[in-house]
Amino acid sequence: MAVDMDLEGVLRAPEIDMAPYPPKVITLANSKKMVVRQASMADVPVLLKAVRPTLDIPRDYYDIVGARLYAELLGWYKHRVRNEYCLVGQIDGYLVGLVNGRMVDHDIGMSYHTLAIDRGLRVGSHLFASKMEYHIEFLEQQEVWITAESPIGFRRWMIEYGLIKQEGVQHELGGATSYKLTRDLYFETKPRLVAGQRPVPKKILDLAMAKIIVADESDIREKICGVKGR
Amino acid sequence: MDEIKITAYKCKKCGRIHFPFHDRCLDCIARDFEEIKPEGPVRLLAFTEIYNLPWGFDVRTLKIGVVEFANKVKAMGQIDVDEMGDLKTGMKLTAYWEPVRKTADEDVFGLVFR
Amino acid sequence: MMRQVAIIGAGMIPFGRRDEDTLLDMLAYASLKALDDAGMGDKGVDAVYVANMGAGILQHQTSVASALVDRLSLMPAAADAIENGPASGASAIKNGVLAVASGYYDYVLVAGGEKMREVVGWKATDFVCTMTHPEAEYPYGVTLPGMAGMFTRLYMEQYGLTREQLIAVAIKNQKMGSLNPNAHVEMIITKEGIADSPDSVVNNPMAADPLHLYDMCPVSDGAAAVILCPLELAKKVTKKTPVVVAGFGQATDTHTLQEREDPTDLKAVTLASRQAFEMAKLTPKDVDFAELHDAFTILEIAESEHAGFFKKGAGGKAVEKGETSLGGKLPINMSGGLKARGHPVGATGVAQVVDSVFQLRHELGKDRQVKGAKIGFTLNFGGFGNNVVAFVLTRAE
Repeated sequence: MAVDMDLEGVLRAPEIDMAPYPPKVITLANSKKMVVRQASMADVPVLLKAVRPTLDIPRDYYDIVGARLYAELLGWYKHRVRNEYCLVGQIDGYLVGLVNGRMVDHDIGMSYHTLAIDRGLRVGSHLFASKMEYHIEFLEQQEVWITAESPIGFRRWMIEYGLIKQEGVQHELGGATSYKLTRDLYFETKPRLVAGQRPVPKKILDLAMAKIIVADESDIREKICGVKGR
Repeated sequence: MDEIKITAYKCKKCGRIHFPFHDRCLDCIARDFEEIKPEGPVRLLAFTEIYNLPWGFDVRTLKIGVVEFANKVKAMGQIDVDEMGDLKTGMKLTAYWEPVRKTADEDVFGLVFR
Repeated sequence: MMRQVAIIGAGMIPFGRRDEDTLLDMLAYASLKALDDAGMGDKGVDAVYVANMGAGILQHQTSVASALVDRLSLMPAAADAIENGPASGASAIKNGVLAVASGYYDYVLVAGGEKMREVVGWKATDFVCTMTHPEAEYPYGVTLPGMAGMFTRLYMEQYGLTREQLIAVAIKNQKMGSLNPNAHVEMIITKEGIADSPDSVVNNPMAADPLHLYDMCPVSDGAAAVILCPLELAKKVTKKTPVVVAGFGQATDTHTLQEREDPTDLKAVTLASRQAFEMAKLTPKDVDFAELHDAFTILEIAESEHAGFFKKGAGGKAVEKGETSLGGKLPINMSGGLKARGHPVGATGVAQVVDSVFQLRHELGKDRQVKGAKIGFTLNFGGFGNNVVAFVLTRAE
């Protein structure tokens, strides 16, 4: 579809420069290595393929998280959301989870969503921590605003980090109560909640950067739902 | 400081101290008890810090311990210290009677050691 | 003279998170599997015992034994629900064994099930906490993992148990779980991933100091069932090798840990095990494999000692040396144990027996089968060791 750049000049918001997220590698409980790295806008079509099956999974609120994440990624891709980013987790090139958010201004970050495809390995926890790391340490912001749609998210973030409740403050996602992570709180909790080693060994990084491999739809459903037969 | 509202039971026959209540003595099976109050400083017998709490607690973790009072009453309570590293089996603490949780918005009182 | 009791049918459904099934669904599926395994066909049973701890709280449903009889069209069978905390399963089997041994009933179905994932995690934890003493323990927020944490610290101080030994249990059992199609957790973990790597701090966070996440069993849904009958009738019904309940034992201890003279002394485990061995006229040395109640890794080690398999303080070293792995001196938890197979509370004791039946019939693949297994031992640990049931099971020759 041809894009009218004069019109885009009106419709796109001016972006703030964002420092990149340096990739890292995390050793998971089964010794598999998960590379956490920043996705580019060009990766969005592939990411949407991974997110799409979740729209039909009500378990653990995957449907609402997936639906909103899909819209956010698409909005970013179409330059209609300003200063959005997306970090992905990959094991042997396969996408196992993704997180996103955006830079509201130089001081405030807005955490959007966390979607784990591979479950049982704390992928979601690791990726959430990575985006907090991005906001505080690399974007050098003062605080990150966070909300939770699921009890799992509430437990992992609000309780584990001891996030500060923000009465009367509306998160961009609307709805549920808004919390914030401050710089002080981040550095206090970092030793027990933020993992990963840099630099990533070249072979592992090259594999991750070469391509984001997405499992097929039925595999994604099985990973998320883990339905047991009779 | 609020009085510790725990009643322990001393067997009138053999002197064994019970808390919680038993209708018959754990040692001699007698049924006659003298009510006593836990007294004195406490000695820490066992402790832990729990990270996955049940419904009804707003804190991230809870330190819990089992102690023995100077008059031999044993009881469980919450421990109010900053770090687990500050605790050692056998150390002395003081017992207080304070809110330990809320049920239907009402404070529930119990033992807190510090 | 009491009749010898045989297990002629065993069945279970895969443990895990089973959103699509109700509690009754799970109990029914497991029961049908056991009935079919026994070759019962359309034959009914005389009595049904159902093990369950939480249906009244979690599912707002009571009288589950009557409900199961109706569901399976087993009327007019006698039916009782058995609640003994995490030892409900073995308690139900014990009651079934007594019923058959007495001569009063011939064919008995024992099913155990629990649907713990019906509620959010904090509420499932609170449900388990209802086992604690209502005045002396519950108000403080102490959880069963919390009790295990206190117990572990004392065990470390008294017997020199190390963190590495606990890790060895976790790795062994998750490995076996990965080979068990009925296991909740089918994931291999490594020492690097849960302890050695700097990232292990996040992978394996503290849960109840000094126990970590991977020292804990998961919260599971599931059901398991067995069919009991007198040994003399077994051959008339089944073509499979019957498994004999050679001995059982049950013992209790104080409700609160603080009232035990030595809180590291699991008296009820020792007594229940001794009773079971005496009834069977066997000793721990005769046992080929054991299914122990490893809700927490510490319990596998402590129970292996208190049941008489190892001296106090030696259980941890035995795990490290591989003595409790497949091919070792005494394989423990070749099912994956509670750690990996899962722990739907009411189902666990029955599942331990089900897995033992598969072992004794030599029906498992070589990656889990104990070669030539003839004698097995199960231990189901209620509360924090205040109500324990043990079985010695033998392959009928």
